[in-house]
Amino acid sequence: MKPLKVDVSDLNKSFGDNHVLKGIDFKVANNEVVVLIGPSGSGKSTLLRCLNRLEEPTSGKVVIDGNDISDKSTDIDKARQNIGMVFQHFNLFNNLTVGENIELAPTELGKDNKEEARALAKKLLQTVGLEDKYEAMPQSLSGGQKQRVAIARALAMKPDIMLFDEPTSALDPEMVGDVLAVMKDLAKDGMTMVVVTHEMGFAKEVADRVVFMADGKVMEEGSPDAIFDNPQNERTKSFLEKVINV
Amino acid sequence: MKKIFVLFSCIFSFTIAGIMFSQSTVQAAEKTYTIGTDVTFPPFVYANSNNKYVGIDMELIRAIAKQEGFNVDIKPIGFNAAVQSLSSGQIDGVIAGMTITDERRQKFDFSTPYYESGIVMAVAPKSSIQNLSALKGKRVAVKTGTSGADYANSIKDRYGFKVVTFDDSDNVYNDVKNGNSAACFDDSAVLNYGVKTGLGLKIVTKPTNTGKYGFAVQKGKNQELLAKFNSGLQKLKKNGKYAQIIEKYTGAAATSSKKASNQKSEAESHTFFGLLKQNKDALLSGVWETIELTVVSIICATIFGVLIGLLGVLPSKFAQGASTTIIYIFRGLPLLVLALFIYNGIPSLTGSKIPAFVAGIITLTLNEGAYTAAFVKGGIEAVDVGQMEAARSLGLPFGKAMRRVILPQGLKIMVPSFINQFIITLKDTSILSIIGILELTQTGKIIIARNLEGFKIWTIIAVIYLVIITVLTLLSKWVERRVKD
Ligand SMILES: Nc1ncnc2c1ncn2[C@@H]1O[C@H](COP(=O)(O)OP(=O)(O)OP(=O)(O)O)[C@@H](O)[C@H]1O
Ligand SMILES: [Mg+2]
Repeated sequence: MKPLKVDVSDLNKSFGDNHVLKGIDFKVANNEVVVLIGPSGSGKSTLLRCLNRLEEPTSGKVVIDGNDISDKSTDIDKARQNIGMVFQHFNLFNNLTVGENIELAPTELGKDNKEEARALAKKLLQTVGLEDKYEAMPQSLSGGQKQRVAIARALAMKPDIMLFDEPTSALDPEMVGDVLAVMKDLAKDGMTMVVVTHEMGFAKEVADRVVFMADGKVMEEGSPDAIFDNPQNERTKSFLEKVINV
Repeated sequence: MKKIFVLFSCIFSFTIAGIMFSQSTVQAAEKTYTIGTDVTFPPFVYANSNNKYVGIDMELIRAIAKQEGFNVDIKPIGFNAAVQSLSSGQIDGVIAGMTITDERRQKFDFSTPYYESGIVMAVAPKSSIQNLSALKGKRVAVKTGTSGADYANSIKDRYGFKVVTFDDSDNVYNDVKNGNSAACFDDSAVLNYGVKTGLGLKIVTKPTNTGKYGFAVQKGKNQELLAKFNSGLQKLKKNGKYAQIIEKYTGAAATSSKKASNQKSEAESHTFFGLLKQNKDALLSGVWETIELTVVSIICATIFGVLIGLLGVLPSKFAQGASTTIIYIFRGLPLLVLALFIYNGIPSLTGSKIPAFVAGIITLTLNEGAYTAAFVKGGIEAVDVGQMEAARSLGLPFGKAMRRVILPQGLKIMVPSFINQFIITLKDTSILSIIGILELTQTGKIIIARNLEGFKIWTIIAVIYLVIITVLTLLSKWVERRVKD
């Protein structure tokens, strides 16, 4: 059996009285692409953010690459270098150019020197189709361009695993394709990915496994075909009906 | 991040230490006593047109000091501040035409009286008021803490008038002159002198409630100073010097000779240009003191404010609580109260003196720093949380994320607030006149106490403030432009 990249067991998360994650077990194998779907408020983002401890788990275990992230003594900054994250609203550093956005972490954390970081940034911009934007400020980019820079920025740390939280939800429809294309390439190259998305086409085409969440629990999971064509759980059925009818 | 903290704290403590040191190195070999007074009280104490402190009290204390072989360091801090500073041990003695009362005896030890005076009432020249009964339903102006004020308060119910108090004699007289108040009560010697030198009021009652003026020290303290004063006074009385001084300031000949000399070279100017020229030195040193206070305060307050502001955004409940509390306290306290508390309150608790300048800097640092901390914190919090999350998700530690991503964006938001705060700091230095720092406002008060040219002097002072503020604003804008690039 391949070693697990993500191994979450009995994860609980509460915000005050609001019990958001209720005993989640969630595993991701090496090179696997998992798509998380579920209704709004079901806890998808919260689960994703527990994977790099942007949210502190209330209880349970989160192990990434053999590192127990939920253990307070773990060097979380070190662990995060290995976990890239892409946000719905891009969160590019507004005070820095595109190039500096990408080079900041590798140089600050001593992974690369200035020249190496610059070469890497240019190469990554090329792979996301934005080589001419190296000097640009984030404010001058379209949403789709921003998201591709954000992906390049995360990749600059050469992470083993990438987390995506609705990366295309804030984009105009004509920009969605560019971003999804970049993500497909990543998947093809063997990146381990956890993707929260409403793009069912992407899920069918790229995902190795689809996980359906509702009310803070994993309701059903399986191959895209199994989930989309033959859902077992009532909640999955009604959710998919709504999403596909839109 | 830690390094910046350490660096900031170092600069901060060096600045404070530097000020303390520069103040404490000024020590004379001969025993020097710090004497508080109120230089807006002619003929007892006032600043002459060369801005030397003169008057009965000043000549007496200097003559006695010379006689007895000690030095005096005169602090022109105003009557109220002088009395408070004496209670808290900030100064060694007070000579300011202070009447000896039983109440004051509880806190101070008085010398043998050096002057006897009574309270009289003065009204505007055209006023028809001739006696106390005519005051019914009217307003009466007095100076805070004087025996004139005590007298007015003791009879106000009987005669049915209302008492308003001012901190300066000049404001008292002006209130009567412009008709806001019907009359004022003050020491007969003071009013007599004023009337003779063209104050523009007339005295309508005979001296009453005679009181004796005494030199005061803190109760049970500085007894050797008190003894020296008493023996010196006695010697001056014997050798005729005392009578000479009194005659010089109250005698009919004296005041008229002053009038005569007024017409000549020493004449008080009444034009803007003349006033400027005549008071050039005093105004310049006031401006300089104001600038010094402003610059040092801005530096200290900015460092303090930035540190406290950053404390408020650290991911620790304790740090945030400490920051919020500090901001709450020092933003909540009126600047005036804070200044008096630090200058007078703390020394009476700890027993060690704080130089007025240092007390002023600490006051402004705490107050302006609290405002700075609030907008530093606000500016950082105004940066989208997504920026911090993105930086942290890349593995950047909190400090690096703060320094490279959050602070540069927060700073842009804060720049206008910083400029605003610098200007407020400059204006707030004027409040420090309350603890007797001879900055621009206090300088103005003292000049006006002598020449009573309130309108013109305040106009000059206002224009000077505007000029400094303009320079400060231009400077800040220049810095702002450089920060933006
Ligand atoms: N920082 C927070 N503080 C308090 N409650 C939160 C916080 N973050 C999320 N929640 C709550 O947790 C629940 C799950 O939120 P979450 O964002 O994980 O849902 P989601 O499945 O990602 O939904 P969506 O599809 O709308 O993004 C919601 O009820 C939300 O209000
Ligand atoms: Mg979400």
